[in-house]
Amino acid sequence: MSIKTILVIEDDRFIGEMYVRSLKKAGYDVDWMIGGNDGLIAARNKQYDLILLDIMLPERRGNEIMDALRGKEDLIPNTKIIILTNFEQDEESRMAMEHHADGYLIKAEITPKKLLGVIKSLQ
Amino acid sequence: MAVDQNLATLEEKPLIRDYWDKFQRRTGIIVTLVQSGFVFTFIVCLKAMDILNADWWLVAMIGVFAAAISSACAIALTFALARPLRDLVRAIVLVAGEPTALTPPNPNIPRYEKDGFRDILQTVYELASRDSPSSEPTTSDDTLTSGINNIKTGIVILDNQQKIIFSNKAAPVRTDQDGAQTLELFFPDDDSLQAWLKRTSKNKLTAERQWTRVSDKLPGEKSRRLFDVAASYRKNNPAETVLTLFDRTNIYTPEEDELDFISFAAHELRGPITVIRGYLDVLSEELQPKLEQDQVVLMQRLIVASNRLTSYVNNILNASRYDRRHFKLHISEDTIATIYNSVADDMQLRASAQNRVLAVDIPENLPTVAADNNAVGEVLSNLIDNAIKYSNEGGLVQVIARTVPGFVEVSVIDRGIGMPVSVLPNLFHKFYRSHRSRETVAGTGIGLYICKAIVASHGGSITARSIENEGSTFSFTLPIYDTVAAKLEANGNDNLALVEHGSGWIRNHSLYRG
Repeated sequence: MSIKTILVIEDDRFIGEMYVRSLKKAGYDVDWMIGGNDGLIAARNKQYDLILLDIMLPERRGNEIMDALRGKEDLIPNTKIIILTNFEQDEESRMAMEHHADGYLIKAEITPKKLLGVIKSLQ
Repeated sequence: MAVDQNLATLEEKPLIRDYWDKFQRRTGIIVTLVQSGFVFTFIVCLKAMDILNADWWLVAMIGVFAAAISSACAIALTFALARPLRDLVRAIVLVAGEPTALTPPNPNIPRYEKDGFRDILQTVYELASRDSPSSEPTTSDDTLTSGINNIKTGIVILDNQQKIIFSNKAAPVRTDQDGAQTLELFFPDDDSLQAWLKRTSKNKLTAERQWTRVSDKLPGEKSRRLFDVAASYRKNNPAETVLTLFDRTNIYTPEEDELDFISFAAHELRGPITVIRGYLDVLSEELQPKLEQDQVVLMQRLIVASNRLTSYVNNILNASRYDRRHFKLHISEDTIATIYNSVADDMQLRASAQNRVLAVDIPENLPTVAADNNAVGEVLSNLIDNAIKYSNEGGLVQVIARTVPGFVEVSVIDRGIGMPVSVLPNLFHKFYRSHRSRETVAGTGIGLYICKAIVASHGGSITARSIENEGSTFSFTLPIYDTVAAKLEANGNDNLALVEHGSGWIRNHSLYRG
């Protein structure tokens, strides 16, 4: 599967802009949502190839969004989800696994260049 | 079975307590016969020799009377003299455990003190107490057990095989399906109860030891308790080790919250770090054609500094996790070369930006190791970073890997300022920084602490050698994968394609880190 469309759900403006800028430059079609609610609505209304999901979000946390999207049934079977967070805890990483994320990355470790490498490796 | 046999032999065997009655009967008859015969004959002799001038019937009467009186006196005297024998029999009856209503003879009466019999009685009592400590009448086992089960302090008793032979309700002991009991306590890896018992049983007859903040579950698990543990060891005692566990959950839990705060603060730092590293990454690429040579160097320094900052935050988070026993490794089969490659760019940049030469010699034919790629990467990056910091301008930093029995050993060698031998034992303690390093180089003193924690969690070891003004060598070992593969599989640690740790995991793909 080749990835063309990406949804970024990220509340930090600097970090969000940084990812969006790099991804757009690399040729991806990128939407960016700041709040958890808007993020979930966007994910359900449009089929993305990839969602980059933060965990600490206003209104609705990332793991709740995962739960809503892939909890009971997989509403987005054709979309990959990568958790991108700085707040890693074993509990959360376990939850992310249980909720079928396709990856779990620490933002502080992943520069935009490396993120592009990860996305390429998913295809 | 054994008890029945004892009862049977007890019935057949004459009881010790009967001896005194028999002795009294037998002695009474003998003394009476001898004494009365003696006195009667004496009286008759007096009549025959005409000394006693009386009729024969009167002589017979006097003879019988005198014989009776003297016999009674002789019996009383004999029994009085035989009293020590009576008390000895009574004492033996008591210590032998025969049913009796007699009170134990008192060895401390003045007569026995004077004639020395006290020592004999006391010896009997002492011998008896040495052989059977439980023979004295005490509270029944049921009362004792229910009493001990009602207290909030945990009590666990281990035999000389370190098997649990008793535990009360408050003790965190798990019983599995086969009835085998295990103590559920997370002691520090390098200071465990087992290690202490192993040392103690080799060198000591008795020993005492205390641990604080020992938890029975991992952080985050329900109804987790924190104990202060006191261990008391008596060699060759049936209850060789007694553990007393004081539940201190209420006191220690607030401190855990403080640790949570440190971890939370470190997480917060990662936000700005993400932005700094991210934009540096973007800018260094986009600006490269426009930058002057000296500006490229400045850019590199920025990148090195931000990478270092990331490492420090990771160290703090790892140390906080390790201290809360929250530190989990995800072991997989890996090569030292792959692990080094994940940090190679960063390390080369750090070395060149500070004008050091980094020479890496990792042979390709080394066996694979059982390692958490990220965690070991952090060990390498800490050790190389230290070697860079503590070596001289233009100095050489070497990374060498080789096989030693059962392990692969990695050494990071510098030819820098070195350390006196006296500081070596303290190097791996948290927040320890040698006097000299405080003056010359900045640092947190947490890097080597977390290195040791990571290496030890892998089952390896870390050592430091140093000569002042000549340099230092830090070596750590990791188990060769084949030597631990069976154990890892038994633990269900089959996440070979899934690596999870500091910088996350990506399903079925190699990991990316800074």
